[in-house]
Amino acid sequence: MAAEVDVADAVRDRFGLTWQPALAAGILANLDRIDVVEVIAEEQFGASSRATRALETLAHQVPLLVHGVALGPAATAPVDARRLDRLARLVERLEPAFWSEHLACVRAGDIEIGHLAAAPRTGATIDATAANLSRAASIVGSRPMVENIATLMEPPASDRSEVEWVSSVMTASGCDLLLDLHNVHANSLNFDFDQVEYLDRLDPERIGAIHIAGGCWIDGPDDERRERRYLDDHLHDVPDPVYDLLVEVGARVRRPLTVLLERDGRFPPMRDLLWQLERARAALAEGRLRAQRDDAPGP
Amino acid sequence: MRPEFETFLARLYTDAPLRARFLAGPREEAERQGLTVEECAALERIDRVGLELSARSFAHKRTLKASRRARPWWKLVRAALGRPRH
Repeated sequence: MAAEVDVADAVRDRFGLTWQPALAAGILANLDRIDVVEVIAEEQFGASSRATRALETLAHQVPLLVHGVALGPAATAPVDARRLDRLARLVERLEPAFWSEHLACVRAGDIEIGHLAAAPRTGATIDATAANLSRAASIVGSRPMVENIATLMEPPASDRSEVEWVSSVMTASGCDLLLDLHNVHANSLNFDFDQVEYLDRLDPERIGAIHIAGGCWIDGPDDERRERRYLDDHLHDVPDPVYDLLVEVGARVRRPLTVLLERDGRFPPMRDLLWQLERARAALAEGRLRAQRDDAPGP
Repeated sequence: MRPEFETFLARLYTDAPLRARFLAGPREEAERQGLTVEECAALERIDRVGLELSARSFAHKRTLKASRRARPWWKLVRAALGRPRH
């Protein structure tokens, strides 16, 4: 175990949590075990200046990341300039190591969907998403990392697979990937694909950060209860297959990675979250070690 | 993808009566909304279970967002540390 952790340290991987007020005391008391903290952008919009100053103070103690959840770049309409302006101001104040956003549609026309919907996977949505990400980069001042999303429904009118679509958006936009392993896991369960093959179809050097989280099975509608789906709810512990995927990531990606544990509610004791972070460290280090062994010249 | 198709999908996610009409007759409802032949055909093949579960999940998220009231985190830290208020 010690040797594996040394490997991770050698490439300066970072491990952290998403900032939640309910976790604040636990995070502040354990900054020796937390390398980075992710802040949800929209939760800071409209915050008092005192609240923002408090986050700026936190940023002096631990590197922050800014994560958007409501920009919705995967849409035909241009992303809202006012949202981008607020994002730009937040990024300027907090000086995060990077900012990120989901490859999702969150509104259309005057309709707010309320969360992250998968866009139809077509050439047109690749172009539109890339244009929106370019607009975002020009206003915020840096390109976001883009995150693959979980979905309960294959978006209609799609003409390609999820991983083809995500890869094409990365190529067209120049944005690196915040790879959410639990989203890959959830989609692989719901739509029956091999999650390791999904990884193999991504350019490993374009993966810059990782999300891990948990979820649960939910029943189908009343008349189709037996057709269950797996929901990415951030309310459960990280399942074993996600750690297995993190090993596979470590074996493929050579650049330093930032790994974030997302937990939005039903908070367990802090020691349980820290234990999940330690498991993530060990998993990534195991993959790094495997890559080193594979690289080593034979006898 | 046309904006009209995108908007219709957003309405399916958020408008339960429309969704019920659509699931009862996808092509008829899509045609009534003025979508193209290709769009109507794509919607006819829609993942019905996924649509309903997605709609429920989005509705839950909208409810959560509407009910969430931010409490300054330092007050939670202070409460966790058991310090008296000044």
